[in-house]
Amino acid sequence: MNKDTRKKSKADVMLIAGLAVVGIFLILYLLLFSGSGKIVEIRVDGNVIKQLPLDTDTVYDINNEYGKNRIVIENGEAYMKEADCPDGLCKNMGKISRKGQSVICLPHRLVIEIKDEQVSSDDVDVIVK
Amino acid sequence: MKIKHIMCTFFSLMAIVGLMGCKDNNNNENNNITEKNSSVSDTGTNIVSSAPNNGKIQSCTKELFAMDTYMTVTAYGDNAETAVSESLKEIQRLDALLSTGSDSSEITLLNNSGSAVLSEDSRYLFEKADSIYKSTNGAYDITVFPLMRLWGFQGDDPSLPTETDIKKTLELVGMDRVKYDNGKITLGSGQSVDFGGIAKGYTGDRIMKIFEEYDIISGVISLGGNVQCYKIKTDGSLWRCGITDPNDPSGMIGKVEVADKAVITSGGYERFFTDEKTGKTYHHIMDPSTGYSADNGLISVTIVSRDGTLADGLSTACFVLGEEKAVEFWKQHSSEFDMILVTDNNRIIVTEGIGDCFSSEHDFEVVEK
Repeated sequence: MNKDTRKKSKADVMLIAGLAVVGIFLILYLLLFSGSGKIVEIRVDGNVIKQLPLDTDTVYDINNEYGKNRIVIENGEAYMKEADCPDGLCKNMGKISRKGQSVICLPHRLVIEIKDEQVSSDDVDVIVK
Repeated sequence: MKIKHIMCTFFSLMAIVGLMGCKDNNNNENNNITEKNSSVSDTGTNIVSSAPNNGKIQSCTKELFAMDTYMTVTAYGDNAETAVSESLKEIQRLDALLSTGSDSSEITLLNNSGSAVLSEDSRYLFEKADSIYKSTNGAYDITVFPLMRLWGFQGDDPSLPTETDIKKTLELVGMDRVKYDNGKITLGSGQSVDFGGIAKGYTGDRIMKIFEEYDIISGVISLGGNVQCYKIKTDGSLWRCGITDPNDPSGMIGKVEVADKAVITSGGYERFFTDEKTGKTYHHIMDPSTGYSADNGLISVTIVSRDGTLADGLSTACFVLGEEKAVEFWKQHSSEFDMILVTDNNRIIVTEGIGDCFSSEHDFEVVEK
């Protein structure tokens, strides 16, 4: 009986230690890698062609009947790195990271927009420019 | 030992599953709150259609490329879908009517022939443009079009014209040389006009009327960054409009909370080029008195008004006027509009009427009447 109790408490300690280690790793993982949850949505002609996480550095190339564009996601910001459109305005639109912001390449009917399912207090509904 | 290992693994797995479950639940909850876009294309236009967001209130958002820009229209209410479709049709109708880029638009025909009897829409626009022209002492002038073309701001590759060309073209500018009598318009020799500075504002006003006809309970539109809000949001709060930072167009200088208002910004950051020889930057807002880009100390002007056409025209006019004259003008017309000015030394000036609904991380001054 006595022996049994001791055995159990030893198992308990192991369990608690195991759970603690697993827990710590999980919390760290969630904090470090789950990110902002923001999505970079890429649309051509109003159709969603790709959704990419804002917190993963990515280079995304588009080559369609309208032309070529290179979208870069870097350090939590998305921007138009290259475009062969006639005006090149989209390359001057800066880097976007806030919900609702967009970079638009009119000649290529291309819209890059930040989407976020999380609701935060400093959000705006619409951006005036 | 074996049992311990199994138990450890079992509990660890439980913990992982438990934590992951939490994350999923969160996501699901958020999905219920946030409107989910599905991409459905209909009627051949370029649109994104969205499903009703919570089963109670019908909502509809569509986008399209028109008037040389990107537009989104969102409406809430039983007739949301119809109201938004009608809005897109109205945008396309007005684009075809007013575009200077089309060979067959009413405005191109007028510019080619020098005279015309205007349609109802163009009549309204001309009279509105004329009233803003007169009240701002010519700071807003639809006859700057030849200058815009000279500079190349209508096309893809703007560049600095010679001084002689600017002087020559400047002689064509002046709305006082346009003859107008009850819809019959005659341009001065060599003149041409462009309603581009108020067309989007007017389109916004027209869409607000469509929303009214279809008993829309809440709506918001962005016509290339020109925002117009219809009533309040479905949760009972005001629409929060972020104002673009002219120094860093990916940031914001603050936000203004409104209902039933157009919020329209003019800034030199929208279309500009840097001349290689002089190293100077020129933007698309022409000063009708100099023939060059307006350079009167302001880098962004936002107008808040119930009247979208007025807001659109005044955002340009006040940008050209500069701080002092713009504030003076506001004092005389404070019942019609409010404004947010950003100066080239980064002061933010807000007029009294929206002093309480504007918020910013930066310091700002409130001007009283």
